[in-house]
Amino acid sequence: MSSAELLRLDGVRKYFGLRGAPWRTGQTVKAVDGVSFVVRKGETVGLVGESGSGKSTLARVATRLLDPTSGRVEIGGKDVTRFRGRRLRPVRRTVQMVFQDPQASLNPRQSVGTILSTPFRAQGTRPTRAQLIELLHKVGLSEEHLERYPHEFSGGQRQRIGIARALAVSPDLLICDEPVSALDVSVQAQVLNLLADLRDELGLSYVVVAHDLAVVRQVASRVAVMYLGTIVEEGPSDQVYAAPAHPYTKALLSAVPVPEPGVTRDRIVLTGDVPTPISPPSGCPFRTRCYKAEDVCATTRPVLEPVNGQTEHRAACYFPEPPPS
Amino acid sequence: MAEPVLEVHDLRVTFDTEGGLVPAVDGIDFSVAAGQTLAIVGESGSGKSVSSAAVMGILPSNAEVKGEVLLDGRELVGLPSDELRKIRGNDIALVFQDALSALNPYYTVGWQVAEAYRLHHDVSKKAAFQRAIELLDKVGIPDAARRAKSYPHEFSGGMRQRVVIAMALVNDPRVLIADEPTTALDVTVQAQIMQLLADVQEEFGTALVLISHDLGVVAEVADDVLVMYAGRAAERGTVRDLFHRAAHPYSLGLLGAMPRIDVPPRPRLTTIPGSPPSPGSIKTGCPFQPRCAYTERVGERCITERPELTPRPGEGDHEAACHLGRRPEAVV
Ligand SMILES: Nc1ncnc2c1ncn2[C@@H]1O[C@H](COP(=O)(O)OP(=O)(O)O)[C@@H](O)[C@H]1O
Ligand SMILES: Nc1ncnc2c1ncn2[C@@H]1O[C@H](COP(=O)(O)OP(=O)(O)O)[C@@H](O)[C@H]1O
Ligand code: SF4
Ligand code: SF4
Ligand SMILES: [Mg+2]
Ligand SMILES: [Mg+2]
Repeated sequence: MSSAELLRLDGVRKYFGLRGAPWRTGQTVKAVDGVSFVVRKGETVGLVGESGSGKSTLARVATRLLDPTSGRVEIGGKDVTRFRGRRLRPVRRTVQMVFQDPQASLNPRQSVGTILSTPFRAQGTRPTRAQLIELLHKVGLSEEHLERYPHEFSGGQRQRIGIARALAVSPDLLICDEPVSALDVSVQAQVLNLLADLRDELGLSYVVVAHDLAVVRQVASRVAVMYLGTIVEEGPSDQVYAAPAHPYTKALLSAVPVPEPGVTRDRIVLTGDVPTPISPPSGCPFRTRCYKAEDVCATTRPVLEPVNGQTEHRAACYFPEPPPS
Repeated sequence: MAEPVLEVHDLRVTFDTEGGLVPAVDGIDFSVAAGQTLAIVGESGSGKSVSSAAVMGILPSNAEVKGEVLLDGRELVGLPSDELRKIRGNDIALVFQDALSALNPYYTVGWQVAEAYRLHHDVSKKAAFQRAIELLDKVGIPDAARRAKSYPHEFSGGMRQRVVIAMALVNDPRVLIADEPTTALDVTVQAQIMQLLADVQEEFGTALVLISHDLGVVAEVADDVLVMYAGRAAERGTVRDLFHRAAHPYSLGLLGAMPRIDVPPRPRLTTIPGSPPSPGSIKTGCPFQPRCAYTERVGERCITERPELTPRPGEGDHEAACHLGRRPEAVV
């Protein structure tokens, strides 16, 4: 019996209509193009992919900060796809978002106390000072920080404030969009450890969105790989990292440098650039850069199917990589 | 060991600011030989970019530079600006992280690479443009003759970085300084760019100074490594000295803090508490002391006496600036 579903996306699409210059008007960016995805209680799911693959858009649709163009968003077992305004309050109590750039996501004119009060006020309540102090303690800050302003903090501390704000309404699921990519490696480790501690203490679940595959390896028990608005592979991290089935995942992993001098990696160097999501390729989105592409790949888009009969590990490819012998 | 092409001795850079003097670089030494790669690593604010700007002679006027920068034995510090202009971009070139700001949006990329060539070569515009196409082709721009007539915004981030590298290489420099050249790029593009730099080095014997905070990249391409902390050298040695015999608590901390894909995840990453100090804020003792897990074993000395680089066991000139002396055992 699987544990409770916190988030379920079914066939979610998010298209942006372009405006501005005349030659762009009328074009659509298919930022997310048919994603189905489930997060269960207690899980940490990693969402990886290169820039422009649609990770942030998906995260915003999943937290209902954006309306999907089509598809369904279920949060806590309830269809919230069309919820607006006040009806979103319970959604916010279940799912909260942590943003990449703590500098940009914190209002510089608000004190930490005011910043941390905002989510309470959005729920129509007012926090006590004790509640705010408790929040700061959870993220390793202290009472003395309450009256200070964002510029008085280091990048790592600002990200802690962003996490505290997300924790204010005691959510079950945090969707963290590139939570450590703006931070130095030593500070990055502090924040990753903090996320792990909060998971253990509060029973939190996470979706961690990151372009850094090592960061996701460190935190996520399950991983989904995005390319051009679709998930091309998903499965338990151990399996996906050790035996990637999709050619894109394999190429992506092979490009990550390992901190071991003298170790040369068998690198699959991808040629060309990611196609524009305005006119993605027919059939398999990866086919223009794939080292295994054949005619069939241009026909219909491959769907996620079990890899070697394992239902937990799935890849969307006509010619998945065989397991390593 | 081959003769160094670039030698830097006791480089110091102080900025005169409204808030007072900022000692951004506080006495560093390094050198790099033809065909070799020196990596400079360290967290943001440690003085990596200021050091490279000082070597290039492109710091703003509120910066005071002291020390020696020797290019093939010739002193660059204090050289008149017209002399320096002949060297900059010709014998020594710089590629930095933000390719977009290095390119002029109003000129074609071919024109920009050609102009970089004409600055140092008395040739016709047409010949220079031919040279530009040759370089664009060399750095892997497909259909270079046609793409040379495109503008920077028509290129992806990775392709723009290639253009900037073409511009830096157009005069066959002896030394290339690459300041976080792939930080803004995706990992598959990073792999392409690092491969390109390796190919260039092999073909032309360029000496490369690679500034990076990515220890994975460093392990892959560096021969020697300099670890900077708060404007000073914490440790230096060969790449194997650093990755197998790190002797400075800060280097050990960086290695332990890094998540990696080649080993199973650890329950917790090693962390370095706090964050890097601002330049000059720690006036006596070891600049790493407030964050150091080993300072208790040494005691007072870490607070009163600034540690200098001293030899450590290793392959050659392995040195660390730490009072602990011997190599600290695995991080606690
Ligand atoms: N508001 C928007 N309007 C138009 N295009 C957008 C908008 N937001 C994102 N996009 C485009 O959608 C695609 C996916 O973007 P994003 O979700 O930010 O990707 P990622 O987070 O993986 O880098 C990109 O091509 C991006 O330019
Ligand atoms: N023009 C300037 N005026 C004053 N301080 C500066 C200037 N440029 C850089 N600094 C300071 O010098 C220090 C080192 O900066 P930098 O070399 O850019 O670090 P890194 O490249 O290692 O991240 C920083 O503390 C920075 O604030
Ligand atoms: S479906 Fe075809 S083009 Fe797509 S990843 Fe598989 S082999 Fe490559
Ligand atoms: S000198 Fe002292 S404080 Fe500095 S790194 Fe060594 S042990 Fe740590
Ligand atoms: Mg994003
Ligand atoms: Mg820098």
